[in-house]
Amino acid sequence: MSNDLDTELDTDETAIDPQETETINLITAVNRTLHQEMDRDESIRLLGYDIGPLGGVYRGTEGLLAEFGDKRVIDTPLSENGIIGTAVGMAMRGERPVPEIQFMGFFYPAFGQFMYAVVKMYKRTGGALELPMTIRIPYGGGVKALEYHQESTETYFIHTPGVRVICASTPAQTKGLLAASIRTVDPVIFLEPKKIYRGVDEPVPTAAYTLPLNKARIVQTGSDVTVLTWGAMVQQAQAAATDVDADVEIVDLRSLSPLDIETILDSVSKTGRCVVFHEARRTLGLGAELSALINEYALDRLKAPIKRATGYDVHFPGHDIEDDYLPDDDRVRYAIEAVMSYEF
Amino acid sequence: MAHEMWTEERPPEDFYRILDPNGELQTDPPELDEEELLKLYRTFIATRILEEKMLNMQRSGEVSLVARTLGEEATPLGCAAALQPDDWIFYTYRQTPALLYWKLPMVEVIASATGREPETIAEQVDTEDTPVNFSPDYTPIGTNVVNGVGAAMTDAFNDRDTVTMVFTGDGSTSQGAFHDGMNFAGVFDVPAVIVCQNNQWAISEPAHRQTGSETFAQKADAYGLPSARVDGNDVFAVYETARTAVERARSGNGATFIECVTYRMGAHNTSDNPNRYRDDSEQRAYWEDRDPVDRYETYLRDQGILEDDTEAELRDGINDQVDDAVERVRSISTSEPERMFDTILHGESWRERHQRAELHRELNDMNPFVDFTGEGFDE
Ligand SMILES: Cc1ncc(C[n+]2csc(CCOP(=O)(O)OP(=O)(O)O)c2C)c(N)n1
Ligand SMILES: [Mg+2]
Repeated sequence: MSNDLDTELDTDETAIDPQETETINLITAVNRTLHQEMDRDESIRLLGYDIGPLGGVYRGTEGLLAEFGDKRVIDTPLSENGIIGTAVGMAMRGERPVPEIQFMGFFYPAFGQFMYAVVKMYKRTGGALELPMTIRIPYGGGVKALEYHQESTETYFIHTPGVRVICASTPAQTKGLLAASIRTVDPVIFLEPKKIYRGVDEPVPTAAYTLPLNKARIVQTGSDVTVLTWGAMVQQAQAAATDVDADVEIVDLRSLSPLDIETILDSVSKTGRCVVFHEARRTLGLGAELSALINEYALDRLKAPIKRATGYDVHFPGHDIEDDYLPDDDRVRYAIEAVMSYEF
Repeated sequence: MAHEMWTEERPPEDFYRILDPNGELQTDPPELDEEELLKLYRTFIATRILEEKMLNMQRSGEVSLVARTLGEEATPLGCAAALQPDDWIFYTYRQTPALLYWKLPMVEVIASATGREPETIAEQVDTEDTPVNFSPDYTPIGTNVVNGVGAAMTDAFNDRDTVTMVFTGDGSTSQGAFHDGMNFAGVFDVPAVIVCQNNQWAISEPAHRQTGSETFAQKADAYGLPSARVDGNDVFAVYETARTAVERARSGNGATFIECVTYRMGAHNTSDNPNRYRDDSEQRAYWEDRDPVDRYETYLRDQGILEDDTEAELRDGINDQVDDAVERVRSISTSEPERMFDTILHGESWRERHQRAELHRELNDMNPFVDFTGEGFDE
């Protein structure tokens, strides 16, 4: 198999025609992508609970049962470990399962199959068995939901070799990244920021297209400080950037594992300052790794210590104070101002 | 036609029943005195009134999410009534009658649906000791089954005669934790009663999507547990079955699995819209005719135990109690943001101190990121 993800993914790509777009939100982009990919490739099956007649609790799979039938849109028994484990078996037989886990906090019962089969199969067969499967997971807080419905624990996945971890931040990004995830031969955890499933619409090409799985995206260029972020926080970073006395470069990582380290180091080397901005808890959140990498490979370019604007090291709190927990444009603005104010 | 009424593969109403849907006895009723009979009735009505109130509070934004027991009340009620003081209940979100039967204050039931920090609720609501012990409620399904069985193992090993009752839904039987619990219960002969409240739906999925077994009850065979399958809308049958199981557990003869067949009359919870996945008008009509409260009320009236004025008095009393509880919930303040750091670990840490200070600064419009030495902040 080719290691060049760009080339590999580009081969099947319909030219992106900006003339033909529709303005849709993020969850509709998920739905459109699943639809188009399932049309294109009969080996794609969706698995999950409540994905059939209900169309998913967030409606990501709406209409797909009617279109593709119950052998390709499979409402499973209520077992996350069962969903992931049977998806592995399907992938072992050459199919491309796309399981959905209803909420990130309900992935935990599936950790057995994840650790024992999903991430290890390729390695333990010396490359003989590929597991092309894309596990869709809505993640993140800000929706005033019950416990375990707000998790941002991507670190568990990132810490594990053998799986790509992809996170989309806009409808157009979602469509291209999800299609690429489904088409790649590696297992992928595909994280969907459910807080911004609705409400933010943007024009999205109607034709199918892919975006690279191994490249971060420069959301806006700037010369003073680099903000490294992803998912629902990208928008918040953009809001902060308009409201701060600094020229901010925002990098949407897109691939949380593996990281596009070249883009990260280039940006930080240019600006000399860095803020990592994520919803996850701070301790061993991806910010810890990013900060370590920059210290190892770009220390002499830094004009200030790296700061991490993140969630606190606590359980996700009750509704009445979840806004105080969640990182937002204010928190990242403070971090930007702090690194801007620093003098060695 | 019968099959459509039923989401399991088994023919309808092939289960243990004492009180039929018309309120007539099919066999001898359990030995319950008039006071106990009225207590059951009162709990039925209290559940309906409380849950209706909570639904209204959800609509007005005072509580965040409500999952009702509507139409399923006889199952948790009959089971809970078979316990004794000092026993344990491991429950989910669909056993309100069990909570009310054992006097969990309504204010706690409502307050927990507000989604506030647990410390805030604990501090501002006078918790009362309930005669039976309740586990915390559980969100991740299946988890409570294996925890409850572990709790019962301590009773077995310590020769205590306490009984643990565990509630689970039909959908939850698909979780590994359910099977772990059943398996350990069988191996260690624990004093537990595991109840499957089969309301035939798990959000949008009908029960036959959860199992290829003919019934849920027969799962017990594989674990070496005795089982029963009862009309979950007949509080007498549920009670009688649970009582036998509880006695069996208490006398050291191990666990029992009970499937109570009932029907989820409403939405899964207030976030759910069942019109998207089920057209169950026929099914609902069928189950409305088998309503657990109606048949029980008919029976009590026929026996001369319940009269119009006693009913009115009882409803008035419950309404007052609910109103009181609502007022008390309304008086609970929202949480101090710093609460999020409470009760995570014992003792102190640099990390916690520092992050508390960061949050404090953020809330007071001061930059929380200006500590560059680890020595903290000068205000
Ligand atoms: C581990 C886990 N996975 C998924 C969920 C989401 N969820 C909450 S309730 C529910 C359905 C449960 O159905 P059932 O066990 O039949 O109980 P019922 O709601 O009918 O009482 C699901 C899927 C969860 N709470 N925990
Ligand atoms: Mg159910």
